[in-house]
Amino acid sequence: MFKVDWAQYAPDLLSGLKNTLIYTALGFAGAAVLGLLLALMRTSKTRLLRWPAGAYTEVFKNIPLIVIIYMGYYGLAGDPFDINLGVMQAAVLSLAIFYAAYLSEIFRAALVGVHSGQREAAQALGLNRMTTFGSVIFPQGVRLALAGTNTMAVDMLKSSSLLVIISAGELFQVGKSASSATFRTMEVMLVIAAIYFAMCYPLSQGLLWLERRMHDGAPLSPRRARRLRKARAMLGVAQVGVAS
Amino acid sequence: MSTVPGVAPAATTTTAPKPVVDVQGLVKSFDGRVVLNDVDVRVWPGKILSIIGQSGGGKTTLMRCINLLEVPDRGRIEIAGETVFSGTRVVCRDLARLRQSVGMVFQRFHLFPHLTAVENVMLAQMKARRAGEDQALENAVRLLRRVHLAHRGLAFPEQMSGGEQQRVAIARALALQPKVLLFDEPTSALDPESTREVLRVMRELADDGMTMIIVTHEVPFARRISDWVVFVDGGVIVEQGPPADVLDRPAEARTKAFLTAFDEPAAAS
Repeated sequence: MFKVDWAQYAPDLLSGLKNTLIYTALGFAGAAVLGLLLALMRTSKTRLLRWPAGAYTEVFKNIPLIVIIYMGYYGLAGDPFDINLGVMQAAVLSLAIFYAAYLSEIFRAALVGVHSGQREAAQALGLNRMTTFGSVIFPQGVRLALAGTNTMAVDMLKSSSLLVIISAGELFQVGKSASSATFRTMEVMLVIAAIYFAMCYPLSQGLLWLERRMHDGAPLSPRRARRLRKARAMLGVAQVGVAS
Repeated sequence: MSTVPGVAPAATTTTAPKPVVDVQGLVKSFDGRVVLNDVDVRVWPGKILSIIGQSGGGKTTLMRCINLLEVPDRGRIEIAGETVFSGTRVVCRDLARLRQSVGMVFQRFHLFPHLTAVENVMLAQMKARRAGEDQALENAVRLLRRVHLAHRGLAFPEQMSGGEQQRVAIARALALQPKVLLFDEPTSALDPESTREVLRVMRELADDGMTMIIVTHEVPFARRISDWVVFVDGGVIVEQGPPADVLDRPAEARTKAFLTAFDEPAAAS
């Protein structure tokens, strides 16, 4: 059944794989930053911040990603705008803009989900607003947001294949070229699907593992691990009922 | 008792120490409903003030006004001689610093669930006081010992009983060496065994000379521990005085009614 000369396509596949990973990584980083900003705006007391963030989310949640990609690359280049984005810029930007809308929903729910008593307890201890957010609200929000964020990360990795319409040279486009050159569409697409699976499955499993570790309160930074070791040594006596 | 806490005329202030907490003419309303109406409270160093009264009577709001978690409508609040609220405005420039000198223990603990007990006690020292890690840890371990919980130092809040969580919360509130500790119904969410553990720690703090304000439903405990008892109802102080007066020989009908209603179920504990 497998008749394509895959050795010949290996360099293309590798470069497609690399591009897919770069678009996803940068797009996700952008979406996470923008999504957090939007979530903070949406939970703000000021209507002037809440309203635009809410409008943004509703607009971009209800437009297909492929339209945003097309607008970003071809639309902006055209008449009134004349903004010529490179393929990389357009790809990363459209992924970030689109997924920020979804992530902002997830982040907002997570921030709201942190009990209001937590903020009060932090304030009562004399922590300022920045520290209250950074040391108390954010770490708990991350735990609540991780499951939804996990889904979105995998979804973005798969949806980066839509970048084929601006010839972004990602994995799916390599497969498409290979299939038109060899006319063995099913074989090629099976291989492409297998590669996507081989990326997405470990990604989601890895994030699930991270979620479980966080839920158990395990230290994720070496600094905290060191602090807990020190505490264990100083507390001395056998600790009762302690998570590892 | 040489110095009298509360709002008794200041004639007895012979050595004239400054009150740790001085609240005058406090008014607070929520959506037009007056919760506190012209309330005066004064607590002297090393003294323990208990606030009793029905739920919804304004006790908790009074506590929350003292560290300005709730902003009063009107009145004057002084903490250790420093005016932090005056007229209708917060005049304290540095709220964070004010709150470091006023520790608070909540009814529902509000420990930070993502941190172990010892980290809960360390956090404010490192983030608000910029203490070094070793110093904060040493202090936290000492405080956990003080609340008899060194063996639970690495447990997370969800792994602890309510009484253990509340004792960690007390250690956390003590970590910044506050001038006064506020307890907002510290045992209302606890079973009898946990209640005993927490009251024991509070009694030990009292013996060490800690200045405390306690909102409580534990009348027998309030009788034993307090220097001064305030009965609040309907947003006003109905009656106040030494526990032997207010709790055993109340003058006001409302206080009597409250205590008789309360004594029956509370007699068991």
